[in-house]
Amino acid sequence: MEGKPQDERYLEAAAEYGAALHRLAAAYEADLDKRRDLLQEVHLALWRSLASFDGRCSLRTWVYRVAHNAATSYVIGQRRSRASAWISLEEVAAVADSAEGEQAAGRRHSVDRLLALIQQLKPLDRQVILSYLEGLDAAATAEITGISPGNVATKIHRIKNLLTQQFQEGVRDAE
Amino acid sequence: MQNDDIRNLWQAQGSADAPLTLEELRKKGEKFRTKVARRNLREYALMALMVPYFSYFAWTSHLPLMRVGNGLLAAALFYIAYQLHRRASASPAPGELAWKNCVAFHRAQLERQRDALSGIWTWYLGPLIPGFATITIAIAIPLFHQSIYAGLLSLTWVVAPALVLWRVAWINRGATAKLQRQIDELEATERSSDAGVRQ
Repeated sequence: MEGKPQDERYLEAAAEYGAALHRLAAAYEADLDKRRDLLQEVHLALWRSLASFDGRCSLRTWVYRVAHNAATSYVIGQRRSRASAWISLEEVAAVADSAEGEQAAGRRHSVDRLLALIQQLKPLDRQVILSYLEGLDAAATAEITGISPGNVATKIHRIKNLLTQQFQEGVRDAE
Repeated sequence: MQNDDIRNLWQAQGSADAPLTLEELRKKGEKFRTKVARRNLREYALMALMVPYFSYFAWTSHLPLMRVGNGLLAAALFYIAYQLHRRASASPAPGELAWKNCVAFHRAQLERQRDALSGIWTWYLGPLIPGFATITIAIAIPLFHQSIYAGLLSLTWVVAPALVLWRVAWINRGATAKLQRQIDELEATERSSDAGVRQ
């Protein structure tokens, strides 16, 4: 992998992780136009970064780190004055509970609710829940985020509980 | 719905199509470099206009204090332009986005913002004060010679800028404290992670 030129590496990464980057942009930006801009920014950051890819970590870790860091940098800039509006995983359950009266109508609605829930999380919690949803294990998530696998496991446990609590009702109604 | 279903539902969305072709990426990369170059040019242009303006008065004014004040302002503008350039070029290198994990990168971003805000007195507002103060004294002295009221009146023009500076400082203090709380939170996460790794 180290010997490959930047463009070739980028095409490989985009083919393998393109859809994941698309979902990641959606999780960081609710507005559709801004989301398109963010996705382009993430791809640009990835392409530029791959000029210095040296194989010290896997391509997957590299791609997710670049994407999360570029997206975090973007949201910090967008919400510089409103960063306090972000909430943690512990707080989100209480806030989401207030929407319990709204009954989910189907799978699309479930994804929208999931996105709405993720978009209000603090960057670190957002990174962990996205890694979980993308199917990454605790070790991979720890390598990307920089928190210990034990810490990741604790957060994932909370995420599982939260998702169960938030989405069981909706699907039962949709069925 | 089981958590695996939610994950499947999540992974089923999203397009794998790259939003930009390689050609477009190259163009955007070039545009980014041009944007940075233009911003630098703007800073230098502002300096090229303002520094000769104050230098002219520093050179031609009959009052020694006026000359000193204008000279100090010209020097302050030089220093501010240098600081703006230095701080603006401190944006992360492309590879830095991958070399640092998310917590470390986020913390570095917040620290950069905090330092820029908390240091605004030392690199932006502060350097202008000696020049303005000297010019104010230079204007006030001859007026005090005329009458004490005229002298006192001449000092009132500094009230508005002083209030603006005070307001800027107040807003920055709040923003710096907010950033510091976020940095502390991330540091606590890092510390607990390090402790977890050692165990």
